[in-house]
Amino acid sequence: MKVAIGGAALVLLVLTQVAVAPLFPLRAAIPDLILVGVMVIALYWSPRPAMVAVPVVAVLFSFASDRAPGLVLLAYLPLLPAAYVLEQARLPINRYTQAAVATVVGGMAARLILAIGPMTQGAEFTFGVITKDLLLPGTVLDWSLLTLAYLPLRLAGLEASRMTLYRSNY
Amino acid sequence: MISSRYSVWAAIMVTLALGLTIVGQAGLLDPFQGIFLKVTTPVDSALNGIFRPVADFLANAGNVNSLEDENRRLRLENEDLQNRVTQLKQDADRVKELEQALKINQGATSGIRVAANVVNRDSSAFTDVISIDRGANDGIKAGMVVLSSQGSLVGTVTKTFGTSAFIRLITDSKSKVAAQVVDSKADGIIQGEANRVLSFGLAQGDVKVGDTIVTSGIGGNYPAGLPIGKVSEVGGAPQDLFRKVKVEPIVRLSTARTVLVLTSFTPQRINIEAQP
Repeated sequence: MKVAIGGAALVLLVLTQVAVAPLFPLRAAIPDLILVGVMVIALYWSPRPAMVAVPVVAVLFSFASDRAPGLVLLAYLPLLPAAYVLEQARLPINRYTQAAVATVVGGMAARLILAIGPMTQGAEFTFGVITKDLLLPGTVLDWSLLTLAYLPLRLAGLEASRMTLYRSNY
Repeated sequence: MISSRYSVWAAIMVTLALGLTIVGQAGLLDPFQGIFLKVTTPVDSALNGIFRPVADFLANAGNVNSLEDENRRLRLENEDLQNRVTQLKQDADRVKELEQALKINQGATSGIRVAANVVNRDSSAFTDVISIDRGANDGIKAGMVVLSSQGSLVGTVTKTFGTSAFIRLITDSKSKVAAQVVDSKADGIIQGEANRVLSFGLAQGDVKVGDTIVTSGIGGNYPAGLPIGKVSEVGGAPQDLFRKVKVEPIVRLSTARTVLVLTSFTPQRINIEAQP
């Protein structure tokens, strides 16, 4: 039952990403609901289901958007290791900031990797567009979205879990 | 080691990504993609229908002044166009009479078109793809030409399923269309560039701001004479071999909700693929 609900939620997440997110662009970047969704799963459920969710949403997203599934999977790959590495670095920042920085780093990686696909097929590499129109607005969107998702859950009394895999009995 | 577990997971995912790439290239995922799209297209359409008015409101709220200016400009343009339509109707009647007299068939652009609703749009700095709610069951094939409801060039069908299809818009960075300037007949290639901008490359000849660009028909992948856009900027020095020409699409691709697939025109690429 839990798996069925989780699967349905992932399908809805992907459909929202392809049908709704492109309606709210900021320059060339669009909100990445999948990225934030995976991060929220890792924080408020545990990293293990998030690790399962990554390939599932990557394949479903590639189906819905006609992108290469392998490239989409690679795009979302750095998010969880980035969150783990950031946690292990023991920087003097709270859990919210850790999660936000990991999401921003993961978002930058995802947008860069997804931009590589068209570039290998002839699109011109334009540094200005990538930084000014894609990565910077993407950072704002990812940070804002994570805040919108994170804070209400935190205010509701839910405690963000750690990224270490011992807790999830991996 | 905890970190090694993330490493193992990452290694498995990279292997899976490679596997998916190979399987995807071989087309083995297509049946699953077709089923997924068949099931989810109504949900996609519903979500899009709910949120599009909100997005339109937010987009327009910040642009009231520019919308007023645009409205004023469009009213003037509309009057001018109505005058031209009257003239063109008279010319069309004359051409029809002459065609009948000379027994010439009409061009392919006036042929059978299948109307389809835009379900969603995958748009980023380098990608501009839409999906529609019509597919192979309606006679749509990969490679067919897609027009706006007013007949301007929108893009090309890239992949079809039973009840849905993907269309690469002309602003996608992989899109290239043989085109020409209406007045000077200068030939070139309309190409999508980063950030969904159109450029008119390899254009030799006189190109001015405001010139209309249409498909040239060279290569056989698009019928000749389909409107694409207007020249918005001409860069570089006049003595340059190729000027840097930016083009504004005639159709506002971001707000297109209905498109027409030109099923009566068979592009050269479909002919080549069909040959044994």
